[in-house]
Amino acid sequence: MRTSNYLVALALLLGAGAVSANEGGHAGWQRPANNEISNLPSLQRGARNFMGYCSGCHSLKFVRYSRLAEDLKISDSLRDTYIVKPGDKFSDYIKASMPAADAQEWFGKPPPDLSLVARSRGSDWIFNFLTTFYADASSRQTGVNNLQLPGTAMPHVLASVQGVQQAVWKAVEHKGEDGKAVVTPEFEKFEPGVVGGLNAEQYDEFARDIVNFLQYASDPTQVERQGMGIWVVLFLLMFTGIAYMLKKEYWKDVR
Amino acid sequence: MSATMEKSNGGFRAWLNKRLPIDQFMADQLTGYYAPKNFNIWYFFGSLALLVLVMQIVTGIFVTMHFKAGETTAWNSVQYMVREVPYMWLIQPMHAVGASFFFIVVYLHMARAFLYGSYKGPREVLWVIGMLIYLALMAEAFMGYVLPFGNMSYWGAQVIINLFGTIPGIGPDLVEWIRGDYGIGDATLTRFFSLHVIALPFIIALLVLLHLVALRQVGSNNPDGIEIKENLGADGKPKDGIPFHPYYTLKDIVGVGLFLTLFAIVVFFVPTFGGLFMEAPNFEPANPSSTPEHIAPVWYFTPYYAILRAVPDQKLGALLMALSVAAFLFLPWLDRAKNKSIRYRGLASKLLLGVFFVTFLMLMWLGLKPADGIYVLLARIFTVLYFAFFILLPFVSKADGNGPVPDRVTYHAH
Amino acid sequence: MSDHAADDTVPEVDESRRKFLIAATAGTGAVGAVLTAVPFVASWMPSESARAAGLPTEVDLSKMEPGQMTTHFWRKQQIYVVKRTPEMLASLPSHDDELKDPESKDSDQPAYAKNETRAIKPDVLVLIGTCTHLGCLPKPRFTPGDAAVMANWPGGFFCPCHGSKFDLAGRVFQGSPASVNLKVPPYSFEGDNKLIIGVDSAAKGVA
Repeated sequence: MRTSNYLVALALLLGAGAVSANEGGHAGWQRPANNEISNLPSLQRGARNFMGYCSGCHSLKFVRYSRLAEDLKISDSLRDTYIVKPGDKFSDYIKASMPAADAQEWFGKPPPDLSLVARSRGSDWIFNFLTTFYADASSRQTGVNNLQLPGTAMPHVLASVQGVQQAVWKAVEHKGEDGKAVVTPEFEKFEPGVVGGLNAEQYDEFARDIVNFLQYASDPTQVERQGMGIWVVLFLLMFTGIAYMLKKEYWKDVR
Repeated sequence: MSATMEKSNGGFRAWLNKRLPIDQFMADQLTGYYAPKNFNIWYFFGSLALLVLVMQIVTGIFVTMHFKAGETTAWNSVQYMVREVPYMWLIQPMHAVGASFFFIVVYLHMARAFLYGSYKGPREVLWVIGMLIYLALMAEAFMGYVLPFGNMSYWGAQVIINLFGTIPGIGPDLVEWIRGDYGIGDATLTRFFSLHVIALPFIIALLVLLHLVALRQVGSNNPDGIEIKENLGADGKPKDGIPFHPYYTLKDIVGVGLFLTLFAIVVFFVPTFGGLFMEAPNFEPANPSSTPEHIAPVWYFTPYYAILRAVPDQKLGALLMALSVAAFLFLPWLDRAKNKSIRYRGLASKLLLGVFFVTFLMLMWLGLKPADGIYVLLARIFTVLYFAFFILLPFVSKADGNGPVPDRVTYHAH
Repeated sequence: MSDHAADDTVPEVDESRRKFLIAATAGTGAVGAVLTAVPFVASWMPSESARAAGLPTEVDLSKMEPGQMTTHFWRKQQIYVVKRTPEMLASLPSHDDELKDPESKDSDQPAYAKNETRAIKPDVLVLIGTCTHLGCLPKPRFTPGDAAVMANWPGGFFCPCHGSKFDLAGRVFQGSPASVNLKVPPYSFEGDNKLIIGVDSAAKGVA
């Protein structure tokens, strides 16, 4: 009786541990995004960066300008200057400027809508995607490749901001499937190449702001939800406590 | 109730009760129903399952107000509802998380039956009805997951529906009949919507009612596995029984409070639960030309999915998967011990059951993992152990579960 | 081991503590139930999309002929805009005794429409085209003397559903099933020829 309880509890804990370690294999070069979803200035900068650099090709088709400005506390005038695209109404959804048909022709596939990318790929993925573009003139039409998404059709849109770094590879020998020694190139580190407007630290911040904004866009009410959650949990704990006292009082009868 | 209240209500109350036997019902089912006094933590999950059912129905009613079933409209309607309709950002995740909590509660509820032999006579029909509820619930959850038409909805449906194609002879036609089309699309979605919102909830509600009636008929089992009705006091009530109301109504309310606290923590702080409750690929719309990296059903199906994948042959795998669920139905007759509860069975029985619980959980974990490397071997080992439980049970229970049992329950004041 | 052996002394039941705890639990539970109901009830409020669609409607008046009526949509309601002629306006004061509420005391209109012509600019009439009886669309019957509507008909609106009649300022006639004048929505002007339905004149905020 008691033993089986412990067995089940142990199995559940092991399971929970296994699940949390389930967060995907992290290659050495992958860094956590470390964005703070409650950091309003960061979100505002991210919104501005996104509209400036990304919204040419990528839509946020489930996000309205008006809602964005309201949530991020951007004033009407700043909103109309930096956020709303010319010709759009402030209550419109954010569409990409590039027609989908053209994108298909130029890039092979239309640039995906990014309303939910932070939930489908995760903030870390986006951060690494934005920060690991490197020069690759030999094999890539765009002249760049990406560690997070090798072979990406996206050009390095932020090249003017980050610059274009060089990837340094090292030859690593390991056993192939047939037991013979195989040499494969493995990423070692980045080296500065073409210089951009920001240094590495500043660019990280720049990218982090965009990631932060995209995380907001994917789940606009997460901060409100967590705030409400604290009160709900406290209330429920109080209710449970009172109910427990009532139960104990009546169960005195049972012997 | 004070005397004055009774007097003013007395007239109306008597009038009402002549026409609808409310007082009689309360007396029979609540204050007059004697349940064993030694229920422990494992006995919370029945009433909690009922609570979750009600929660799913209520949140489901509101989600249905905004969901637009259709290949081109479903995905957008979910995003529209959670972003633009007041408070649906809370109600929709309650429904999605509620589905997972439903299975947590149901699995713990079933575990109790394993621990204390609650499936044994005279509760065989109670158990079978419960298994039918479980099957209906799995169908309900599967269809519900397809509705948002995310990429995992699409591909999960693809895999599961294709399983029916393994049935010899009628397989391929059956698959087309289920889908209503040559591939998963509008026809599939709209029929799943109707089944999920109307047909299955009615069936589940009816089965739950039957489940409660069957329970009332035979009375509850208890952790000691002895029948309290065999030991009546001078008043004709079981010596080891206590009225359900107020004792278990009040105790269950505490259970509800604790459960809702846990539920609220998940819904408000970690609704996706690390991708277990809401899988990451499902935050992309259905894309017939792009399969997610690994297709896994939601966690509550993965034990059976692991068994399916463990078998190298598709048809045999599907058959074994079906058997692994159907095996539960035969438990009342596979278990041949005299004593119901694990407390009064020997070490062999305890070991067998313990291994089964661990096996179930390990299969659940393995079903979430990709089918390569060491995971394949582990899945095969645990599949064997899973079926070994059912095969060995008749022998181990017969040998091991016939010792003496007390004639009164063990109770510790709490 | 079980405790239910020979203990015959039953402790006294503290009834008042029980009553208190029942009240506390029930009270907290009731509060919880009400708070839980809030998101569900609130979800029926107009959504973001409804509010976006309910933004003000602009009407270009320069194209309208005198005596012409155009219909528009604002917040899912029909809005009638009538370019009133001087004759139409002249007919307004002549039948106060046939009206139920000639001074619009009981009807629903913004402060700037609580006057004889029920409008900011007398020549532009803006009305919500919903009969105040049971909600049908009143039909324009601007021709004075149209005996089919009523004796001495000065021109106005006639509702086909149950026969309510309104004059050229939307005021309801005696004998109509409707009891109040047609509603006037919030509106304002931008320049001489642009009518904005949905934006109040006094405050520049959205209604």
